[in-house]
Amino acid sequence: MFNLPPPEILLQLSLNGALGGAMYGVAAVGLSLIFGTMRLIFLAQGAMIILAAYFVRALFYGLGIDPFLSLLIVVPVGLVVGWLIYQGLFRKAAAEEDRNVSLLIAVGLMFLVQNLMTVIWGGNTAGVVTSYTATGIELLGVRTSFTRSMGFLIALAGTGLVMLFLRKTIVGKAVRAASEDMDAATLMGISPHRVNAIAFAIGISLAGAAGVAVATTFPFNPFAGFIFSLKALVALALGGIGNVTGALAGGILLGLIEAYVQFFISGGWTNAIAYGVFLLVLMFKPEGLFSRPYKKA
Amino acid sequence: MSRALQWIAVLVVAALALLPFVPGAVDAYYFSFLFFVFLYAIMAQSWNLVAGYGGQISLGSHAFFGLGAYTTAILWSGNYLWGSLYDAHPGMYYFDPVTMLFGGLVAAVAAVFIGLPLLSKLHGDYFALGTLGFGEIVKVLFVNGGDFTGGAFGIVAPASAFDTLRPHYWVALGLMVATALAIRALMRSRYGLALIAVRDDEMAASANGIDTLKVKVAAFAGSAFIAGVAGSLYTYYIFHVGPDSVFDLDWMLLPLMMTVVGGTGTLLGPILGALVMYAVFDLARIVVPDYHPVISGLTIILAMLFLPKGMMRLGVMQRRKSA
Repeated sequence: MFNLPPPEILLQLSLNGALGGAMYGVAAVGLSLIFGTMRLIFLAQGAMIILAAYFVRALFYGLGIDPFLSLLIVVPVGLVVGWLIYQGLFRKAAAEEDRNVSLLIAVGLMFLVQNLMTVIWGGNTAGVVTSYTATGIELLGVRTSFTRSMGFLIALAGTGLVMLFLRKTIVGKAVRAASEDMDAATLMGISPHRVNAIAFAIGISLAGAAGVAVATTFPFNPFAGFIFSLKALVALALGGIGNVTGALAGGILLGLIEAYVQFFISGGWTNAIAYGVFLLVLMFKPEGLFSRPYKKA
Repeated sequence: MSRALQWIAVLVVAALALLPFVPGAVDAYYFSFLFFVFLYAIMAQSWNLVAGYGGQISLGSHAFFGLGAYTTAILWSGNYLWGSLYDAHPGMYYFDPVTMLFGGLVAAVAAVFIGLPLLSKLHGDYFALGTLGFGEIVKVLFVNGGDFTGGAFGIVAPASAFDTLRPHYWVALGLMVATALAIRALMRSRYGLALIAVRDDEMAASANGIDTLKVKVAAFAGSAFIAGVAGSLYTYYIFHVGPDSVFDLDWMLLPLMMTVVGGTGTLLGPILGALVMYAVFDLARIVVPDYHPVISGLTIILAMLFLPKGMMRLGVMQRRKSA
């Protein structure tokens, strides 16, 4: 057996894992909303996050807008883009019974976005380096990077806003009703196209917020998005599909698992173990780790 | 399939089989193009069996393709099958039916192992997600497989120089035809009816005494077998089998796309889809090399927006409308 490392290293690991995992979480919240209403695995989510990251980078180097300030631009743009993506690409497919069609449109969109980014910005790794990129801060007695902590805050705030929207507004309630039972919701006068479009708009604007976090923290390239989509799916399954706070918690848990596996076993096994946990959860606790099992009527 | 269509199919296959005898054909560009169309058509049939006829959307075909490719490369480079015979006949592993069969079997056994728990517990999208996760796990296992799998670099098959594509072409054509005929026979059997019954209404099928799990796992394993053989075939073409090449997600996404464009749950749809989509991709690669993946993405989106039921169903819909 291995020796347990000193507590400050454990704390450090946990903190970094949780902070990194929050980014998977915010991507998973977006996936969760889209999956909830449309039953669509939106594989292009990761590509949209990277697209947002490139957009943030262009704003920073082109116009000198601070990456965190650019949230004010990226999030509204994301809302509009998400709405347009739904109306232009998925509206017809959503009515189709064969859900392969929407899945494939998502795959096509992923190809398209990835390769457009390559054409525009080249295939090399890019990053955003600001005056505070290398700055560290003290948190709970451990040092961590400022940008990672900001990413965590963005994830928390994003999820919190979505929660408020779903719980407190009438439109949010309609989205929740549609995720639970689209047929019943339609009978109550909820337009499926409107809730789907809203889910997409919020999902893509969350991708925008995640893009800000990614751009400031990691180097990225046009093809980094797909791994993000997969990780977000894992986070989604851990948290319970259709459970918004669960998705964020699932992301944080995934970040922790990755950090521990990297430290105690080896970096090469992180993905296998993350997906192994994913399969086990899907099989034995498909409602997610954080929700009480409920009986279907 | 109507009688006329059957004759057309026989004639087309015969013409394709004789093509390598046309002077200059082997060196022409379209020769390797056709080889890839056949390879993708086999993969598309594999996906169509489990998803089109069986209704279980699998996102793990690339794992089975890679398993078949690796099995072939490992058996060959380690000479695990033929011992001293191999020294006397250095070309022995080339398109060796036993090696290729092993490629398919390893994939099929893996499919049974993963299919039993997944298919008994997971339905619909959850099954799709599970197979996607399975594919990633297999890839990591091969990256970390040490000397046995060659790690991140993979394995180079001990092949002599490549002189002609002819045998590849014939084997691929033969396998494509064999796959289509086998699936045709299968779907006309009792088992095929059971599979369609499970797809259309699992509850009703089970109420009529069909062991739904067995039927679904068999379709999953059959699909994996076909993908494994296709992977084996690809090893003879590429020689270097690495985790990033044979476990590439494209080996799942492209056949899926071809099947849906051609028509899921039809016999000729996957072949037609493979031909048309691969032609579009390849044309884009030649005409606009810098933008070709962009064009591919656009094509998928457009095909899905305007042809969601696939090309094979186009005729059916029009006939119904006019009737």
